[in-house]
Amino acid sequence: MVASRRALGGFRVNRSHSKVLVVGLGGLGCPAAWTLALAGVGVLGLCDDDQVELANLHRQILFGVADVGTPKVAAASRSLRALAPSVVLRTHPTRLVPETAIDLVRGYDVVVEGADNFATKFLTADACALARVPVVHGAAVRWVGTVFAVGMDGRPCYRCLFEDLPTGGSLGCSEAGVMGPMVGVVAAAQADLALGVIDGRDVAGQLVTFNGRTGELRRRTVAARPDCPLCGSRAIHSIDEARYALATGAD
Amino acid sequence: MSTIIRIPTPLRTLTSGVDEVTVTGATVGEALEDLDRKHPGIRERLMDEKGIRRFVNVYVGDEDVRFLDGLRTPLKAGDDISIVPAIAGG
Repeated sequence: MVASRRALGGFRVNRSHSKVLVVGLGGLGCPAAWTLALAGVGVLGLCDDDQVELANLHRQILFGVADVGTPKVAAASRSLRALAPSVVLRTHPTRLVPETAIDLVRGYDVVVEGADNFATKFLTADACALARVPVVHGAAVRWVGTVFAVGMDGRPCYRCLFEDLPTGGSLGCSEAGVMGPMVGVVAAAQADLALGVIDGRDVAGQLVTFNGRTGELRRRTVAARPDCPLCGSRAIHSIDEARYALATGAD
Repeated sequence: MSTIIRIPTPLRTLTSGVDEVTVTGATVGEALEDLDRKHPGIRERLMDEKGIRRFVNVYVGDEDVRFLDGLRTPLKAGDDISIVPAIAGG
């Protein structure tokens, strides 16, 4: 039984009323969900439409060989239920889509996004900004990883950091690969910032970059762009569904 | 004046795998131009006709050059430049 109250630096925090949505049950989402479940969050939402593949197993730690071919949300639920029976698990066996994204994220206190494609990353950013839900973005490719936390007020946001969807020349893990241990480090940083949101730490705007070759972990605070297309003077008021029409599934 | 530019993994295919390149230049723009002279093609990945691409961040130390003076940001001894491109994956 996982205790809902956890010791933290000499005092105790109660996370049993917190609700966290994990978007993408890949190399980041799996260890992030594992950490969050054992950290005593009350509700853990799992959003992914993929099935477990053999090539996932070296870094997607909630899955085993017997899970190959199984929907990720189902296999992850089994693992997490065994690890942390007190956590309420909500499964969303779908990709994040523009039509329902805002309603989905609105049911949670914080979102942890570890998608393998830019469309889902930007869509998560838009939905969380419009629903006023904090989000922690994470990504890892080869030996590099980044984590970025957006607070309740939505500033600075993911589009302050990266203004728009990349046009060619940017790599994802499916093309470039990712070192298995990298995602563990990056996902731990994501979970830490998500727990920071829950615990009331000021983590908004923090950008963590990790270089897996040198071991350098760097933490910076990002400033909001005055003309940001999501949270600045040109802020959007709804999700542009056409923009995400070609959105691909989260990993 | 020489400055070290840290090259992120996704761009190291353009630097023969090198993760740090020493360049010369009095400004960030000059440093990036020198980087492109040493490793042709990398400029295209970092900049377009309007300046630094919208999905790339360039830092001098811990400061995003967009909030300094962009490509005209002056460099001083001991500065290091790091590049944080948008990546997706895990």
